[in-house]
Amino acid sequence: MSDLVKEVTAGGKPLKKVYVAIMLWFVGRAVQAAAKADKDVKKEFEALPDDFTFALGVLPKGPWMVVGKEKGKVKYLGWNPDVKKLHLRLDVKGIESAILMFTFQESTTVAFMHNRVIANGELPYAMAFMRILDIVETYLLPKIIAKLAVKRYPTQWSFGRKYGGRVCVYTRALLGF
Amino acid sequence: MIFSDSFEFTCPIKTNSGNKSLEHLPVELDALNAKRPLVITGKELVCKCIIKKFAKAFGDSGMTIGIFDGVTENPDWKLIDDLKKTYSEKKYDSIIALGSGVIVDVAKMLNIAVSLNVDSRKIVKDPNVKGPLKPLVVVPTAAGSGLETSRFAHFQGTVFSSFHLMPALIIIDPRMTRAESKEEMAVAALAAFARSVEAYIAKSKNPLTDAYAYAAIGFVAGNIAAAVKKPCNKKSALAIANAVAMSGTAMSNTTAGLISNLGQALVEMFQLPYGIGMGICLPHILAYYQKKGGYNIASLLLPLAAPDQYAATPDSSKADKALAIVGDMIKELYETMGNKIPKTLKAAGVPQYMLEDILEKLSLADDATFDKEGYLSVIKSAWEGKPEA
Repeated sequence: MSDLVKEVTAGGKPLKKVYVAIMLWFVGRAVQAAAKADKDVKKEFEALPDDFTFALGVLPKGPWMVVGKEKGKVKYLGWNPDVKKLHLRLDVKGIESAILMFTFQESTTVAFMHNRVIANGELPYAMAFMRILDIVETYLLPKIIAKLAVKRYPTQWSFGRKYGGRVCVYTRALLGF
Repeated sequence: MIFSDSFEFTCPIKTNSGNKSLEHLPVELDALNAKRPLVITGKELVCKCIIKKFAKAFGDSGMTIGIFDGVTENPDWKLIDDLKKTYSEKKYDSIIALGSGVIVDVAKMLNIAVSLNVDSRKIVKDPNVKGPLKPLVVVPTAAGSGLETSRFAHFQGTVFSSFHLMPALIIIDPRMTRAESKEEMAVAALAAFARSVEAYIAKSKNPLTDAYAYAAIGFVAGNIAAAVKKPCNKKSALAIANAVAMSGTAMSNTTAGLISNLGQALVEMFQLPYGIGMGICLPHILAYYQKKGGYNIASLLLPLAAPDQYAATPDSSKADKALAIVGDMIKELYETMGNKIPKTLKAAGVPQYMLEDILEKLSLADDATFDKEGYLSVIKSAWEGKPEA
């Protein structure tokens, strides 16, 4: 009888994991950059506690992105969610759900609605993070893709804000300051 | 809505439904404290590609799963004992039923055996299920009977009934629920529809069974035509699968009536699938209920038609309108299916001389409201396919 029960050990999905890891790394650094370059992101972070730290990652074993406030400045803190006490932790329920989000087949809001993300922490913090992520994605992505990723594409942004901000966020994110 | 003074409702099932919901399974199992599931399925009953897709969904989870794919149409108690032994030896901690019908029945029986640490002889001797069982997850495929999410399990001629048998989690993923044939889809949809209708008009109903039954009726009525014409249509197949799941919950919380009892009798006596038997008898039973009185047939119009149509129909015509919609829906289904599913009990192979035997079986199932003449006229008109009794 034991021969009729086949044991199957779950394989990995390395390519998808690498893709999500790169996306999280870049988005984390872009959040740090946008906190300096964009007034709305700055305002959102100002409303959060001084040592606010949040993490976004994939269950069960990552990858992760950790961003937090240190001495009033927003910093990308790497990919270990255990390094600091987290005020907000967003767990994506698996690599396939993360792929849906990071290939923009589902926007962040739709992914939450489809119960693909578990939020540990206070709801206002999660809402603030969603708004920050929407602004960051508007800077990072061309309009045709950003419209799929964000809840509502900001058509009222001026040319200067959009393209100037984009150059600023990309530069800061790539150089890490 | 008529609100009774007191009622009970039990539904321990968490439902994950939608695109890629199967990939949530490792996280959901973790929430149930389950790390080593044993998957029960049947390669003769479930397509190999479905089993492959299922195994892939665990990718990157780090879990090891055991897969038993030997369930057949007629499993026996020896299978349960053997599986129990393997379950204990290999230290599995949960059960996943990948499939529908008999696969879920086997999974439920195994769950009794491993949770209460009893062998098949003890289960047969004392079919009462006492106490909570280990986590059971159901991943239904298209050929659902509606009993997967119910408190019932049928095994070797015995019906087991306990709310503990209801699964802790059901995952309805469109990749799993696409039917292989039009017949499979039609039979599942008819079973869900008939059970939901019975729950919706039952005298023992309550607001919570109403919610499940209402949604199930609406899903079937709105999607059955598209689902049967194109069984590979993800959206309509998913809607039917959800209706099947909801109908199981609704029927578990209402008393079985003529529709369920007659369907069960036809399965036991003639191996007629639930959907076919109940689909043939449904219009005749509804007509009988309308004539007899005491059943709120008019309320059926709300889930079947648009709310504005319900509001525009005079109260005195609602019941007739509801019956007409049910009749048209089933008629359109039969026209789409051609001769692939029988329209009458006669075409289904039920011999005329056994109609009284069916009646006798019904009398054993239902003492309280048994109406010999009425039930016999329903069975006869379902056999002939004549206008309802």
